[in-house]
Amino acid sequence: MSASTRIASKDLKLRVRDRSAIIIGIVAPLTLAFIFNLTFGSALDTTSLDLHFGLVDQDQTTTSASFKTVLDDLEGQGMATIVSYPSAASAESAIAAGDIDAYFLLQPGMGQAIQTGAPYVIKVVGDIDHPTSTQIATSIAEQYGQGVITVQTALGVSVEMSQTPPSPLDLVSWSQAAAQQARGFQFVPVAAATRQLDGPTFFAAGMAVFFLFFTVQFGVSGVLEEEREGTLTRLLAAPIPRRSLILGKAILAFALGIISMTVLVIATSLLMGSDWGAPLGVAILVIAGVLSAIAILGVVAAVAKTPEGAGNLGSIIAVTLGMLGGTFFPVGRADDLLSKLSLITPHAWFMRGLGDLAGDAPWTAALPASGAITVFALVFGSVAWMLLRRRMSR
Amino acid sequence: MAPVLIAEGMVKTFGDLVAVNGVDLEIAAGETFGLLGPNGAGKTTSISIVGGLLHPDRGTVTVAGVPVSAESTKGKAAIGLVPQDLAIYPDLTAVENLTFFGRLYSMNGADLRSRVDEVLEVIGLSERRDDLVKEFSGGMKRRLNIGIGLLHKPQLLILDEPTVGVDPQSRNAILESVEQLSGEGMAVLYTTHYMEEAERLCDRVAIIDEGTIKAEGTRRELVSMIGQRDRVTVSASGDLQKAAEAVRRLPDVSEASPSDHRIEILANEAAKLLPALLASIAATGAAVTGVQVIEPNLEAVFLHVTGKALRD
Repeated sequence: MSASTRIASKDLKLRVRDRSAIIIGIVAPLTLAFIFNLTFGSALDTTSLDLHFGLVDQDQTTTSASFKTVLDDLEGQGMATIVSYPSAASAESAIAAGDIDAYFLLQPGMGQAIQTGAPYVIKVVGDIDHPTSTQIATSIAEQYGQGVITVQTALGVSVEMSQTPPSPLDLVSWSQAAAQQARGFQFVPVAAATRQLDGPTFFAAGMAVFFLFFTVQFGVSGVLEEEREGTLTRLLAAPIPRRSLILGKAILAFALGIISMTVLVIATSLLMGSDWGAPLGVAILVIAGVLSAIAILGVVAAVAKTPEGAGNLGSIIAVTLGMLGGTFFPVGRADDLLSKLSLITPHAWFMRGLGDLAGDAPWTAALPASGAITVFALVFGSVAWMLLRRRMSR
Repeated sequence: MAPVLIAEGMVKTFGDLVAVNGVDLEIAAGETFGLLGPNGAGKTTSISIVGGLLHPDRGTVTVAGVPVSAESTKGKAAIGLVPQDLAIYPDLTAVENLTFFGRLYSMNGADLRSRVDEVLEVIGLSERRDDLVKEFSGGMKRRLNIGIGLLHKPQLLILDEPTVGVDPQSRNAILESVEQLSGEGMAVLYTTHYMEEAERLCDRVAIIDEGTIKAEGTRRELVSMIGQRDRVTVSASGDLQKAAEAVRRLPDVSEASPSDHRIEILANEAAKLLPALLASIAATGAAVTGVQVIEPNLEAVFLHVTGKALRD
């Protein structure tokens, strides 16, 4: 066993003995990811939408029937379940009972209003506990409304040119045209660069990479603790190369990071249903992520004066990079500037890499993001190595 | 026999501060060498260079014939360093501490285990071998701190203020250990603030101040260097004037002053002179009732050489 692995083994024993590594590396991220998933998980879950809509058709005209065909199409594609109700009261009861997420109310006069160009409102009533479903229902109604406006415009032009009112056959045809336009509403897969993880995976991965920067710190800041405890003097006096000391701390940090991430990947997959993607791709991402965390926090350890100072500075950096990198909230949904800024963090690349692995993508999909993270590791690692060597030569 | 430690022309600066300026040290096997100096005199910097902790700007250090530098590993293997501050892991047991450091010195297996047992015996911690160090008293921690330095049987043991903050019992145990190690042939480089420790342990002493060695030699050489003599007080009855005159005629006696029932004498190496001195007093018919010999100490030498007290 080399001197560096002896130092790493000793440190691991100390960390396990004081339980700090287990708490920070495993218990805290697992707990937080679980809580976050319970709190926000459904808001991000775009891969398993289970929509239940109701329809109350009080108009009972050809026009209102055309709106129903839009909903029937969604049901036919397996995107939603549609149930008709005779009254608004019965639909309200269905919401209260949890049978549907939202319902459309087509009040009397819909057909007449559309023919005459009068204002008309399709009411959407949603369950407060299903904001995503309600938003989708609203979007469907708005898209149908856009189709109606287009048809109304065409109708007006036709009547003006022919100087004759439209026949009932024309009205049916135009209603169908409006409905056809509303069918543009569909769920499509997004490009890999902006692909979103499902809730359990997002929060599990976000918390894992966020806490990785705290876990790894236990290893990296060990040099400062040796300095404070006075044992650095003895280690420097021992007949071992000085690089062994830095390597020993890096080995411990690497081991803690890998153990923590592995436990989290397995636990969140089993307990929270997270889908991390191809294991080899995840492994490459995790290794790159751990190395980048060691490198960045290595620089922190080299410039800090005390372990406490390194802890504080490291925490600030971990939180800042975590927020910016989208480990709490997906920055892909935020404005463009933030999205671009996030790319200066390994966190964002880690999340992006997992996004690239989503949807049964092969392990190679993680390579671009892993490469970017490795660049962070190399750049910061070189700086940390240089500074730490200089520090130990003082 | 070649000296175990040869340090020549050590120079170390930190910015504008010249911490060590041309220090030479030489210690033979079985010799205990004391390095005395006030805070900031250059003691710790000197032993840091000797111990391979610091790169000197100039100068060389060899231990047991092997060059020592911050990056060399071979030379360091012959050195046991006991830092002034405790350098032990409180959350490991005594055995775990010793074993960890022993392995860094390439000790393994049964050899390491038996050596750990031996050292625990020497430092009196065998009964507490499996207790966490954080549960130890200050004195026990100090003893373990020294034990780690001894573990690999170094040829040169560097002890930097090893008894600071130690209770009298542990302090005595530490001093006895150092005497024993020196007796077994180990070269010891010892820094201390306690003059009585230096006087008890050290075969030779160097006084360092402002980065340079101001004086070096045995205690007697240093004392004679500043012209101080031993003071002998003889309590007696009879003709003390006559007795004092007889004493003055002895070689190595510079002064003899009679007073009521006493003669105050200044002499070189009073302990050796004592039989002749007592005989000459008795020859005058005076009856000796008591003798006290006070030798000049290193504190006076230190004050003379540096112009300040050791604890300044």
